[in-house]
Amino acid sequence: MAFRTRKTESDNEAAKAPRSRSLTRDAMRRLMKNRGAVAGGIILLLFIFAAVFADFVAPYSSTEGDILDNYAAPTAAHPFGCDFMGRDVLSRLIYGARISLAAGFVGAITAFCIGVTFGLISGFFGGKTDNFMMRIVDIMYGFPTLLLIILLMVFFKSSFSVSGVAGGGFRGMLSDLDRSMGGMFFIFLGIGLTSWLGMARLVRGMTLSVRNTEYVESARAIGTSRIRILFRHILPNVLGPAIVAQALQIPGFIQYEAFLSFIGLGVNPPTPSWGMMLSQGYLAMRSHFHLVLWPAVAISVTLFAFNFLGDGVRDAFDPRQTR
Amino acid sequence: MFSFIVRRILWTIPVILIVSSITFLLMHSVPGSPFTRERALPAAIQKNLEAKYHLNDPLWKQYIDYMYGFVRFDFGPSIAYRSRTVNDILAQQWPVTATLGGVAFLFAVCIGIPLGVLSAVKQNTLIDNGSMVAAMLGVSVPAIALGPFLIWIFALKLKWFPVATWGSPAHIVLPALTLSTAYLSRFARITRASMLQVVREEYILAARAKGLREVVVNLRHAFRNALIPVTTIAGPAFADIVTGSLVVEQIFAIPGIGKYYVQSIGNRDYPVIMATTLLFALIIVVMNLLVDISYAMLDPRIRYS
Repeated sequence: MAFRTRKTESDNEAAKAPRSRSLTRDAMRRLMKNRGAVAGGIILLLFIFAAVFADFVAPYSSTEGDILDNYAAPTAAHPFGCDFMGRDVLSRLIYGARISLAAGFVGAITAFCIGVTFGLISGFFGGKTDNFMMRIVDIMYGFPTLLLIILLMVFFKSSFSVSGVAGGGFRGMLSDLDRSMGGMFFIFLGIGLTSWLGMARLVRGMTLSVRNTEYVESARAIGTSRIRILFRHILPNVLGPAIVAQALQIPGFIQYEAFLSFIGLGVNPPTPSWGMMLSQGYLAMRSHFHLVLWPAVAISVTLFAFNFLGDGVRDAFDPRQTR
Repeated sequence: MFSFIVRRILWTIPVILIVSSITFLLMHSVPGSPFTRERALPAAIQKNLEAKYHLNDPLWKQYIDYMYGFVRFDFGPSIAYRSRTVNDILAQQWPVTATLGGVAFLFAVCIGIPLGVLSAVKQNTLIDNGSMVAAMLGVSVPAIALGPFLIWIFALKLKWFPVATWGSPAHIVLPALTLSTAYLSRFARITRASMLQVVREEYILAARAKGLREVVVNLRHAFRNALIPVTTIAGPAFADIVTGSLVVEQIFAIPGIGKYYVQSIGNRDYPVIMATTLLFALIIVVMNLLVDISYAMLDPRIRYS
């Protein structure tokens, strides 16, 4: 755990001194030696690049195709072929990277914010508050996540979107937002609302232990306010490990999005999502296997890269683990 | 120990109660009713149907009625499948899901754990590195990508197994493989890590010093203790596999409880949604309970007060 406090002059001197290394730099060095993790990182950077610059990278439109090209086999013009509406599969894959990565990252951030807030409050106030809040987490653990997320998605989609009276108040605003994001907003919300439990437990545990350290005690002794202690002394120490732990969850979130889109509860067509491409390609698999193959490869490679990088990061930051 | 178990069992009651309440509320706040059609039913018929299923009672009364049925394990009639009760549906679909989940869990345990032990014993050899990369691949490929792939290779090209649906033992293989791969890999990775940790303990050194054969040291002394973290994930993994069967049932068109669940949500078939959620919640809660108990049995250092 990297204990980070305000940079002082002595810190700067230590950085200049020849043989001292910070924990983070040490970890980075270990990470760079891990070939799998580096390869995973490079692949991810490529995917992120493609996702961000999809408008320039993708050769065709992702939502409009040429009907004459439907089910076209891979050719020089369409290296991965075309789907049932004549849309270029490669272009859809590139735009699909946006959806998958966004689901992974934004889903993680949503769950992170809920979990950290919950855990921080629970651990910081302790006592009855802590007990009550942790029982809530225990109960939520009894929920079958997959079932809950499906129910939530149906709830969001039909109570906010189908009503058709968009533009009316808060619900209309949410539904407009979701529609403008191609159905992504509710996916973020669904993932965030169901996946914060582990984070809450982790942060609560760390908060409890940091709260009892000497420097927090001395901060309290000199009359630092509770709010200041919470944000200045506890939060920075909890944040590092929490971010690593949350990053390891990203592949799971990407899978949720893919599955939801696969069963038709994810993104709205024609937004290209790998999960939706899989479900559409699946129907024509017998004759046009390329429609399944490439989305399957894309999602597998992404998750593979994430997992390798994640493993590397965890090993690098936790030297006790054997390798 | 005994009072711990009793307390844990009693704790499941509020968990199940609250899970069911939240599901109930969420479910009823989804717009639309089981009788929403493209062409609206005549008002009188709609009213009669709603009266028949008590859907025009106030929500709290429906909830109390439902919970009263639930404690007697009577989940009421299905709304979408007129002539059947939810109990009938569960009795028919649950064995399918349970079989699929059970076989997948067996695959995961019987292949994953030995693979992990083998990797640990042969640490940093070709076998170890090969199986760990394979395990990483297994964790990474999602079921919705793996399923179609397996179908294409083993059903469409090689014609070894049927493409989809349910019936004979051959029908189980591909879906069970799809379902178990991620967990098999997870078991292998955790077993390996745990073995490597245990092997460095002093009692292993003592066992070696006594001159015990390597096999005995590895299996009797190291493996038994290495199993503790594996058991911790085995319980939740079982619950996850059974829940994850929902995904695989979609891919392979298997008439299990998960496929029904997705349909029931579309149909607003409230009793089926409730019963399925409760069943899965019960499995999760029981699995967590078993883990806690087995923990204490495997490691005598852990004592619950």
